[in-house]
Amino acid sequence: MRIAADRLLGLALIGLAAFIAVQSLQLQVPFSYEPVGPKAFPLGLAALLAALALVLVFKPGEDGEWPAPALALRLLGVLGLLLVYALLFTRLGFIPASFLVVATLARLFDASWPKALVTAALMAAGSDFLFTEGLGIGLPDGTWLADIL
Amino acid sequence: MFDFLIEGFGVALSPLNLGLAFLGALLGTLFGALPGIGPINGIAILMPLAYTLGLPAESALILLAGIYTGAEYGGRMSSILLNVPGDAGAVMTTLDGHPLAKQGLAGPALGLSAVSSFVGATIAIIGLTLFAPLLAEVAVMFGPAEFFALMIFAFSSMAVMMGKDPVKTAIGAVLGVLIATVGVDGGTGVMRFTFGMPELYDGVDFVVMIIGLFAISEILLMLEHAHRRDADDEMPPLGRVFVSLKEVLHCKGAMGRSGLLGFIIGVLPGTGASVAGAVSYTTEKRLSDKDGTFGKGDMRGLAAPEAANNASAAGSFVPMLTLGIPGSGTTAVLLGALMLYNITPGPMMFTERPEVAGGLIASLYIGNIVLLALNLPLAGVFARVLTIPRWVLVPAIAILAFVGVYQLHSDLTAIYLMLIIGVFGYLLRKLGFSLAPVILGYVLGGLMEQNLRRALSISGGDAGILWQSGISLGLWIAAAALLVLPWLVPKLLAGRSRRHAG
Repeated sequence: MRIAADRLLGLALIGLAAFIAVQSLQLQVPFSYEPVGPKAFPLGLAALLAALALVLVFKPGEDGEWPAPALALRLLGVLGLLLVYALLFTRLGFIPASFLVVATLARLFDASWPKALVTAALMAAGSDFLFTEGLGIGLPDGTWLADIL
Repeated sequence: MFDFLIEGFGVALSPLNLGLAFLGALLGTLFGALPGIGPINGIAILMPLAYTLGLPAESALILLAGIYTGAEYGGRMSSILLNVPGDAGAVMTTLDGHPLAKQGLAGPALGLSAVSSFVGATIAIIGLTLFAPLLAEVAVMFGPAEFFALMIFAFSSMAVMMGKDPVKTAIGAVLGVLIATVGVDGGTGVMRFTFGMPELYDGVDFVVMIIGLFAISEILLMLEHAHRRDADDEMPPLGRVFVSLKEVLHCKGAMGRSGLLGFIIGVLPGTGASVAGAVSYTTEKRLSDKDGTFGKGDMRGLAAPEAANNASAAGSFVPMLTLGIPGSGTTAVLLGALMLYNITPGPMMFTERPEVAGGLIASLYIGNIVLLALNLPLAGVFARVLTIPRWVLVPAIAILAFVGVYQLHSDLTAIYLMLIIGVFGYLLRKLGFSLAPVILGYVLGGLMEQNLRRALSISGGDAGILWQSGISLGLWIAAAALLVLPWLVPKLLAGRSRRHAG
């Protein structure tokens, strides 16, 4: 039997429902004026979620299209790049971080090197100008550069 | 009775708000025209900026609503020219729109779709003006139990109407409601699902949620689509851009019927432009496709879904403004945006905040005219947007998403949370989920629990209060009927035809 994506999802959701139920039961309610405290609602939702997930386990739908390994690697690349952007955003500052990330992102989306670099330069400088001058949004200057200088 | 509208026009005609209505219409058309960026993405990306600019609630709403209605106009461009729907509401537009373009009638098809968008939207805005205050008067009688029943009705109508798989729609809604329970519980002060993270005490932030779920997941999906060419050929030449009066009149029946139908579908909670487009197209095909020309480039097959999806956009404001129940995924986002301003739309909105309700409705009248004026002559210019390469578009979305979240919180945790939600959204979309139920659940979840607990504390814990009044009982029955009928009716019909045969 082939394991359909929906079956896995169903099992994962049942796990999630169990986790929510355990977490809700552990909530300490100091005092309560109302008949229904903060536990009942999440518990009910967990039960509903588990019931719906069971339907998926027993009646899974079609297995959707999933990216081929090469594409999956690129997806992870894009995701990793966004994470790097988050890491560099305040440390390196908005303009250098954006330049690096836009150039790499454009390459991942099949732009040539010159196009990627020009796009990155224009976009990093242009958006910095637009946000700080036009809209008055404070963008990070970068702590690393400040430390060196 | 229409005092709110007079006050609304006063608000909407101020120079700032006129400018914002125009800007929203323009940006919305662009967002709609770009494949992959629909109304929700456009709003998600621009919402943080609306706050930064410190716009008052009614002005922010006018801008965001302009993007919404503009995107429903713009969605048709790539449907007609490239056979790729610009957003979910424009799926049916491809059926006759693209064949028309291939016959060398791309220009007239764009013109006609702009006119039918205008007609559909006009019918629905008039409907909104007349109908919303009446519904608000009924809704004043709603107590917590009635609101809880109404939300159950909204979720069940959504499960039946939206997406291919009702089970997945329901799961999406439950997940959304669960996300809404994160944070300090208002009733008791107990922390729920915060895992000791102070950033989660106020719950999962609305902007972080919307941008993660829609913009970040879209970036990942765009990478996949870039490697799968679904556009079947080069962009066809536009030809003459204007549509003749004769062609418009030929479609007047299709426009009128679909506008009305789209409005009604838009008013139903939880159903949006995609349902309106599909229902109106099949209805029009059944009524007027005498020669079997639908699907091969029939003007009426283009006019019907375009009138309907624009009408449903205006219609979906009715339940949002009067009941606080969004009529579509996009109005769910707008509702969340209003809540950030501490405005909870509901029956009192027309009397207590007429400048918001009236200003919005008045701006829809103005925006609709602006959209027609922009879309008729500038169709060719907007069509150019389709040629923007993804390697420009994607980094731009990434920058807007990061700056948007960062400037709200000046905090990296919010950005990490946005990325996690983005991956979650991507997986859900790959697994065949529609994101609209998740957003609806997330926006309504808190209110749903509040109303349930309030109702039960009134009754001292007796659950019977939830269906004691006529209104709430009726809503429960309607909800149950919606869930059971699509499953029951085909069986009954099959049984009857078997009896006739036998």
